[in-house]
Amino acid sequence: MRKTGVLLMFAAVLTACSTKQLVPVAMPAGVEDLVGHTVAVAGGSSTDLLLSQYEGIDLMRIGVGDMPMAVKSGRAEYAMIQEVQYDANHMDREGFRKCFGGILKGLNAVAFRQDDTETCGEFNSFLAEMHASGEYDSWHGGWIDNLDSMAVATSRIPVPRDGKKITVGITIVFPYIYQAGETLTGMEIDLFNRFCRSKGYTPDYSIIQFQALIPSLNAGKIDAVVTHLMITPERAKQVLFSDAYMEAGQCCFGMDPGWVEVEGPGFRERVKDSFHRNLIEEDRWKLLAGGLLVTLEISFFSLLLAIVVGALLCFLRMRRNVVVSGITRLFVNLIRGIPVLVILMIMFYVVFASLRLSGVTATVLSFGLFFGAIFSEVFRSGMMSVSKGQWEAGAALGMNKVQVFRFVALPQALRRIVPVFKGEVIAMIKCTAIVGYVAVLDLTFAGEIIRTRTLDPFFPLILVSLIYILLSRLSGALMDALDRKLNSTK
Amino acid sequence: MISVKHLSKVYKNGNSEIPVLRDVNCEIAKGEVIGIIGHSGTGKSTFLRCLNRLEMPTGGQIEVDGVNILDRRTDVNLLRRKMGMVFQDFNLFDHLTILDNITLCPRMLLGKSREEAEARAMELLHLVGLYDRAGSLPSELSGGQKQRAAIARCLAMDPEIILFDEPTSSLDPTMVSEVLVVIRRLAREGMTMAIVSHELEFVRSICTRVFFMDEGVIYEEGTPEQIFDHPQRPATAAFINRIRSLEFRFADKHFDLYGMTGEMGTFFHKYGLSNENLVKTRHVIEEMLLEILPFRGPVNLLLSFSEKDYTLHMDFAEEGCTDTVLDKLPPACLPLALIKSMCSSLQETAPGRIHVEM
Repeated sequence: MRKTGVLLMFAAVLTACSTKQLVPVAMPAGVEDLVGHTVAVAGGSSTDLLLSQYEGIDLMRIGVGDMPMAVKSGRAEYAMIQEVQYDANHMDREGFRKCFGGILKGLNAVAFRQDDTETCGEFNSFLAEMHASGEYDSWHGGWIDNLDSMAVATSRIPVPRDGKKITVGITIVFPYIYQAGETLTGMEIDLFNRFCRSKGYTPDYSIIQFQALIPSLNAGKIDAVVTHLMITPERAKQVLFSDAYMEAGQCCFGMDPGWVEVEGPGFRERVKDSFHRNLIEEDRWKLLAGGLLVTLEISFFSLLLAIVVGALLCFLRMRRNVVVSGITRLFVNLIRGIPVLVILMIMFYVVFASLRLSGVTATVLSFGLFFGAIFSEVFRSGMMSVSKGQWEAGAALGMNKVQVFRFVALPQALRRIVPVFKGEVIAMIKCTAIVGYVAVLDLTFAGEIIRTRTLDPFFPLILVSLIYILLSRLSGALMDALDRKLNSTK
Repeated sequence: MISVKHLSKVYKNGNSEIPVLRDVNCEIAKGEVIGIIGHSGTGKSTFLRCLNRLEMPTGGQIEVDGVNILDRRTDVNLLRRKMGMVFQDFNLFDHLTILDNITLCPRMLLGKSREEAEARAMELLHLVGLYDRAGSLPSELSGGQKQRAAIARCLAMDPEIILFDEPTSSLDPTMVSEVLVVIRRLAREGMTMAIVSHELEFVRSICTRVFFMDEGVIYEEGTPEQIFDHPQRPATAAFINRIRSLEFRFADKHFDLYGMTGEMGTFFHKYGLSNENLVKTRHVIEEMLLEILPFRGPVNLLLSFSEKDYTLHMDFAEEGCTDTVLDKLPPACLPLALIKSMCSSLQETAPGRIHVEM
């Protein structure tokens, strides 16, 4: 007890000290000044590559949406972010200060597959026409000069409905690409829609995690990447870049030393404000609702498939034929030994790369397979719990094997597995949160998109958590009802 | 009704083969009550389970009502409907009530309506004394009640013969009789039955014929009187009289006295013989080996105890001995007097072979 007390006091003193240190005397003026500090960057981004070259910079690789909170809480002293994003979100008003900008100024271009010179050529000629006609300036200026009012500006460029299909990989970064309600908009979407209108394409935008964009392109899942992708020699080896369409840079920000936390509004006011910002503005709740539907859809179909696969594997596993049961055991152990996320990526990028399966299909197949393997062992333990005597008694009365299975073994096995099965189903529903990796816009990913847009670290996460808890409780209650039904024999 | 010819069954365990049944031959007629007795592991249950093909025999022939049941084309499920079986571990369907346990198969296999099946089930429950337990789950019943319910379930299929596989072996001694009473009643009503049991008195009192099984064959068969009162073959007699035995072999006088004492202690304890008996028996053996037997060759000792008569016998045998021992001793031999004082009889049956009864 006393030890804990001392530790607590020690921690309190430390916290007090570190709070004081949060106010640096001089703000860094360049990348060199970041040496000896903790800096948050987006993993795999060009800033990550740049800062990695400096010794002594403590890099913290997190998502863009988490950066403000990381800096505010002091876990990172500084963070690197797209300069336009910083400006457009008015982060100065939140107590941050831009230390320096214009870092990694580079040219952004659309990436195509290396053999796709035709589409790339079309884009380049479109860009040349834009410059010639002056449309480029109105597009560029219209967005960059109006960052303040941009929150309400939405792209309304009509695109052909039945033109040549083009699948475009994007990531959400305000103000380049963002979701206003159900409408996808932003500076780059605006540009690409103009291209599509001009060249007769029907775009199909697919939200993909940044790191997965180029692999998806090369796997043939998408035809183009439009995500302020900076032209670098490394990337140029893997993809075909169009001509550059804009220049952008990164900036570094930290806490504003002169910032005084004004006595903010009360808790209720803040919740109300968060609620409004994260759900009502730009109809963001629709995004969340859509994500929830996708999560439900994936969970439901994965569950169905997993039950079928599980029953089949269980059947094969319990064969007396040593070869059949041995191969099945090997297969089940193999599948269970791989993280479901890795299975999902293998399915999406390798196994079904050439088939243009949607992310949802790949997800259902992966989850069906993985949880099928898990279910098969659950089912098997249920079947093993039915004693040999039960089978013999059934047989001795004249039932055939199918009848004994259906009327004696199965009912007994089911009652024993329902509690375990319930846990696995809930685990599966929660596990679907990873499908963002293959561009499926589920509940978690929807929450992430809102977070990146509003830079609110808490509210979307907590809301999403609450929805998952609700889902778990609901499915748990369904299983309990099933359990009661199975156990009421009278 | 049932005719068994040259039935054999070999269990394969890895590469080794264990022959359980070697050559079983018998006829069972309608109305007979067959008792099958014998030591554990002599194939009694296997034989019974071959009759309804829960075990597939390795060789031989079984005909039921003229139909060869070992033929792959025979519908074994139809066969089993007329051959009920009662198991040692009851094997009631755990998830169903007693009533549903009994009505499941008549409804599903015999096409009876629910009302019809339930009416018959209640009749049978009345017969086995469980009329008020129809709605109970098997887990709510005692062992004896479970077995009676299992018998009712079996009867509901209107079988022509019932096979009982050690029906009372899993029961507390207090519950054995309630089950035996039910079986006895079935016997009285003329049910054809084959019963594997260790309840010898019960078998003796209700069976029309008894099979004693040993060494994978029907070693001896006959009426209960023949088998229980006048067994013709030594293994049968040993079983009926429940003779337990322990063997020793001594190469010379420097044998391991303590090892032998330990083994004897275990044996005596196992069959409920007193410590006093143990001390006396050990004295007799010691005197015999150290003072009386000349050890012209190795000595074998067979210690046998009949649980039925509660008598203990010892047979000493000197190997390769042609000369008598006892009559060569001096008249005032102290060790011999000591032995005689502790046992009830002592005689040399052949040269070098001495029989002692304690």
